[in-house]
Amino acid sequence: MSELVEPEAAAPEAIYLDGRVNRKRRVRLNFGPALEIYEDGALLAAWPYADVRRRDGAPDGLLSIRAVGAPELARLETRDAALMEQITAHCRLLEGDRREKPHSMLKIVGWSLAATASILGLIWFGVPLAADRIAPLIPLAWEKRFGEAVEKQALDMFSGKECKAPKGLAALEKFSARLQAAATLRLPASIHAIASKVPNAFALPGGKVFLLDGLLEKAQSQDEMLGVLAHELGHVENRDHLRRIVADGGTAYLVGLLFGDVTGGGALIFASKTLLSAANSRDAEAAADAFAAKTLAKLGRPAKPMGELLLRVTGKEADGFFTILHDHPLSEDRLAKLAAADEGRDKDKGAVKAPVLTDEEWKALKAICE
Amino acid sequence: MQDQQTPTAPGAAPKAIEFRGVDADFRGLVTSGALLELVTFGFYRFWLATNIRRHLWSRTFFAGDSLEYLGTGRELLIGFLFALAILSPVYLLYFLLGVEAERQYAFASLPLGVFFLAFTQFALYRARRYRLHRTAWRGLRFGMDGSGWLYAFWAVLWWAFAGLTLGLAYPWAQAALERRKMKHTHYGEAAGRFVGTGWEFFKRGWWLWAVPMALFVVIAAAAGAAEADAKDGSLGGLGGLGVLGAVLLIFAYLAAPFVYAAYKAIQWKWWLEGLRVGEARAMSSLRLSAFFGNIWAYIGMNVAVLFVGAILFGIVMFALDLNGVPLETASAEGKTPSFVLILAVVPVYLGVMLAFGVLWRIYFIQRVWKIVVSSLTLYDLEGLEHVASRPGTANALGEGFADNLDVVGF
Repeated sequence: MSELVEPEAAAPEAIYLDGRVNRKRRVRLNFGPALEIYEDGALLAAWPYADVRRRDGAPDGLLSIRAVGAPELARLETRDAALMEQITAHCRLLEGDRREKPHSMLKIVGWSLAATASILGLIWFGVPLAADRIAPLIPLAWEKRFGEAVEKQALDMFSGKECKAPKGLAALEKFSARLQAAATLRLPASIHAIASKVPNAFALPGGKVFLLDGLLEKAQSQDEMLGVLAHELGHVENRDHLRRIVADGGTAYLVGLLFGDVTGGGALIFASKTLLSAANSRDAEAAADAFAAKTLAKLGRPAKPMGELLLRVTGKEADGFFTILHDHPLSEDRLAKLAAADEGRDKDKGAVKAPVLTDEEWKALKAICE
Repeated sequence: MQDQQTPTAPGAAPKAIEFRGVDADFRGLVTSGALLELVTFGFYRFWLATNIRRHLWSRTFFAGDSLEYLGTGRELLIGFLFALAILSPVYLLYFLLGVEAERQYAFASLPLGVFFLAFTQFALYRARRYRLHRTAWRGLRFGMDGSGWLYAFWAVLWWAFAGLTLGLAYPWAQAALERRKMKHTHYGEAAGRFVGTGWEFFKRGWWLWAVPMALFVVIAAAAGAAEADAKDGSLGGLGGLGVLGAVLLIFAYLAAPFVYAAYKAIQWKWWLEGLRVGEARAMSSLRLSAFFGNIWAYIGMNVAVLFVGAILFGIVMFALDLNGVPLETASAEGKTPSFVLILAVVPVYLGVMLAFGVLWRIYFIQRVWKIVVSSLTLYDLEGLEHVASRPGTANALGEGFADNLDVVGF
């Protein structure tokens, strides 16, 4: 190297790491056409000023720089204030240009919000749609297995045994046969009475419908019970449970994707799931009501009594902020809709037929758990 | 910094490893990070993890030169998405098997548990590999090769063995697995290895296994005796044993954090002193009680946060003077409706949760790092001078796989 280009001896020192060997070289810098790095008078590297970047996250008091075209881990470091100033003055793009700063805070926040919106959109619109499409593809054998898996839990929850008083059983059989003949289900269903004081009825995947004694007690006429059972058969026919399984799984997955491991995420997941599945199930309940109204029409029986029974069981509901959280549509709404269905039918055909059960049979059914 | 004037100091003098971080800086980092996590619905966690590492690495000085962390948040995000893509079918399988398990009890859950254990081990291996690849010192990267699945296979076998021996084989399992990991570790061309032995680990920590075991046996025996008493209807004599059992149980609860802290101190020291990179090694002055103060501080701060949270909650409830009245009845009665209650309580809840997260990161990441790093002295570092970089280790795209398992060190 010529004497001319060698920087003066008093120039402050810097440390150079070439990124190939971990040796620290004491170097002197020359601010020529490019940033020239000398060790004992020998030129080690020349970094164009425009290529020099600050190393992210260097410790305090240390200026550590790299160059775009140099080996990835080549570093030039100094703690000398004057030298730092000189480097800063020469290297205009020390902080990188805009293209190289993809992770500005604003961008992260913006994209996160966009991702959140898209995931929420997927949960709100995509999941129910996917559930509608996927549920019919699940084979019947699988559906029955789901049902068997849930059955034990469900019966444990209501801590009840099946009621088998012979006369009541015969009446229930008759109910079941007439309903299924009118409804033409996609699979054979069976109805079982359970000794539990909870006023409720529910269907399981695979076609089993359970009627709890508590509801039988509250029923004042057999048409009320007929309607409830027709409603549950509607759930079976519409594959509502399968859809719910698919939808809940999908929702849980997407919400997990969203919140990941953020603290307090668990509560948010629970809240959002409850809200969403409640919203979905309102549609399902309305569809099952419509199915019940149609089936009852075929049997020539009114749908309105079922609504009256529901109202009696749930009590009058106030229309507050939380009504969206209710699994079932408001009983008053349902009663009104069912009554409307009856009126429409009366105008069309007016075919009112005799009750399904005799008074004797109805009494036997009510006493099935005794 | 001190060494900058003498880059290749000869001689076998021990070199210090220092942590020069400032607690307040880290507190600021994780506090603002927690708020950003909230604003971004949690997506910021990848960038926060990256910032935390960058902070700790850059303030940790090996013989005067700081470590450099080269990873990015974007890589972690991609790794997370990859992990999800692999895990989703597994979760589906898990669900379907769960349905089967309800029908035929015995078999379904076991292989699944094994799979999750294996996957966790695989993820730990890959997470360490990722972090090593993203760590540089004096212009050279660390690195790791080898197969994560092969490691997971051995890890499952060792864990099974450790389980079968009621934990007695645990030190040997740890030593064997660490040997496997370090065998595949390198710094530039310098190869790593692990010389710690299971026996050494066992000697230092056996009592941490034996004392709780003995305590458990005594408590179980006492509970049994108390039950027998209750059946007899006699309250005298052996009834004292039941009391003894209860006292011991309370004692065990109180002692558990400190037993854990002692165990961690033993484990860190044993692990660090067993590491070799080239001929370089480290000695640690960690004492058994090294983390006790940290644990006290963590528990104390948590209690304080809970206390403040409870007071704020009380203020909110008092100010609103209500207990969840529906909207239109509330307006009629002049009370605050329930959704206002929720709007008021949710920030308190979130604040407490965020504070817990911040405390965890401070006391279980930064303070532990600080205590551990400050205990170290480096020996025989000379062998690492002039080590060349290893070709082909520079680029490791997509290595962020499963790195969201945020594990420090091990």
